Amino acid sequence: MKISKQARRDGKALFNNCRVNGVLDENRVRQTVSAVIAQKPRGYVGILSHFQRLVKLDIERRTARVESAVSVSDALQQSVKANLAQRYGQGLSVSFAVNPTLIGGLRVKVGSDVFDGSVKARLAELEANF
Amino acid sequence: MSNLLQEIEAQIAGVKTSVNKQNVGTVREISDGVAKIEGLTDCMANEMLDFGNGVIGLALNLEETEVGAIILGDYLGISEGTEVKTTGKLLSVPVGKGLLGRVVDCLGRPVDGKGPIKEDAFYPVEKIAPGIVKRKSVSQPVQTGIMAIDAMIPIGRGQRELIIGDRSTGKTTIGVDAMINQSRINKVGRASGDKAFRPMYNIYVAVGQKQSNVARVIAELEKAGALEDTIVVVAAASDSAANQYLAPFSGAAIGEWFMDNGMDALIIYDDLSKQAVAYRQVALILKRPSGREAYPGDVFYLHSRLLERSARVSERYGNGSVTALPIIETQAGDVSAYIPTNVISITDGQIYLETDLFYQGVRPAVSVGLSVSRVGSAAQIKAMKQVAGRIKGDLAQFRELAAFAQFGSDLDAKTQSILERGKRVVEIFKQPQFNPISVEVQVAILWAVQNNFFDDVPVEKVKDCQTKMTDFFNTRKADLLTKIRNEKAISEALAAELKAAVTEFKQTYR
Repeated sequence: MKISKQARRDGKALFNNCRVNGVLDENRVRQTVSAVIAQKPRGYVGILSHFQRLVKLDIERRTARVESAVSVSDALQQSVKANLAQRYGQGLSVSFAVNPTLIGGLRVKVGSDVFDGSVKARLAELEANF
Repeated sequence: MSNLLQEIEAQIAGVKTSVNKQNVGTVREISDGVAKIEGLTDCMANEMLDFGNGVIGLALNLEETEVGAIILGDYLGISEGTEVKTTGKLLSVPVGKGLLGRVVDCLGRPVDGKGPIKEDAFYPVEKIAPGIVKRKSVSQPVQTGIMAIDAMIPIGRGQRELIIGDRSTGKTTIGVDAMINQSRINKVGRASGDKAFRPMYNIYVAVGQKQSNVARVIAELEKAGALEDTIVVVAAASDSAANQYLAPFSGAAIGEWFMDNGMDALIIYDDLSKQAVAYRQVALILKRPSGREAYPGDVFYLHSRLLERSARVSERYGNGSVTALPIIETQAGDVSAYIPTNVISITDGQIYLETDLFYQGVRPAVSVGLSVSRVGSAAQIKAMKQVAGRIKGDLAQFRELAAFAQFGSDLDAKTQSILERGKRVVEIFKQPQFNPISVEVQVAILWAVQNNFFDDVPVEKVKDCQTKMTDFFNTRKADLLTKIRNEKAISEALAAELKAAVTEFKQTYR
């Protein structure tokens, strides 16, 4: 669906209004969506699609995904969380997952930043260097 | 001893393996060689992106939520969801003398099957042109070997001279002739062992041309022995628009290496109208706003930043130069179209080739009235200035009178002589393709014309007389030609020698 420029602008304005001190407020997002659907302004589907996209990107930015070949201990989880909080500030939601194809090591993805310390990545690098 | 081992072990254990941070994104949309990528928050403008499997892209549009990138190479293996990494590097090409004699694509990868290239360095494709402080005015000639151009529209090292004309009027031929002549001069210069001799390296950038045409040009260069001094950069018609848009910039980067290392380079962009079309395509797919003739707003900047990179730098900065001969194809002789006027205003003059002249048999079909070189005689050797100073004016006068003379046969003696001289000069300037004439022969022939030695030769025999005179000079008076080449001016003694030689020739000529 083509989203008009006006709808993009409106979606962006709504998104900015949902932020409190630079952090997205979930309640405000929910209220905004229900209010827009109730009022049905012109091009509201486009506005909401763009709004949803901005929210999705914002959530991705503040989500960290930690993959490891075997499940990690609680102590390590805490230390990873502390390190990430130091680097990216508070308000980061960290999820842990097991991915045996990594062979060993950790792969941390925060937004579009990737810290790949897995054995798989190093092997791939080695292969590329040959 | 065991202590030492323990120490090493402890040190190894203490070393933390560092993990590099990477910035990644995912392809959200891909069409016609342009990808929209989500993520890539640290991406820089004009940064190289890694699409995996050796495919690289170039980030052109940085938007709020996505990055628009053009893909260089095969984009069919990329699909929605493909992971893209930033590389932190600007797009760069290998440069150096190792490229001479080779045919490369717009990223400097060999396409001639002659094995890998040994490069001296990597240069960014987009680079800011040298500033005012670094530059020097153009004063050394580039001999194209085409008499009409060297005599009337001289080109200097560091100049940008546009070659413009309709399709099949001999635009590429002028470029190829110039390259062949540079190579010949290089050979003579190297053989002479002159320390002050500065060779000129050629770079031929083929944009959007048929592969068969490019192959023909390469074969022609090889036949003339000019390929060893030439680098050919190819983005043929079947390459993606992104490659065609980038190829001239790669060629400029390769040329800049020669300039930065105190050498001279000649670049032929064949042709920039096709590059503008390729850039328009890229810009439209990237959804940039379009302007006149659907070209994006920065199509002027596209050409101006490219041509501004040809320069002559001063001795302090190495004394190198890059000369550019961009080619523009007009439609039905319309020089006032968008792209031609842009490039005319950017360059330091133009060589205008006319279809009418071409079919009248005046080849190269250089239109004297519309062609100009804004550097002027500063880029000619003194001997050429002495013999060719008046020719352009004389020919302009001849064209005017020739139109006028059609109406009446009663002409005064002065008009008659201008017409006769003009006809002979036009004949003298006719020249077969891929056959450049050395500057000393040009000077000798023009000296003979200016000193009335051709006036008694019938117009239809002028060409024959010229050929025979050239042979005579080359075989019997080679030392006189060497003198002209070395002295670079016609002194009175030299003039006397020339007179004796031409008189001797005229006695034997039938």
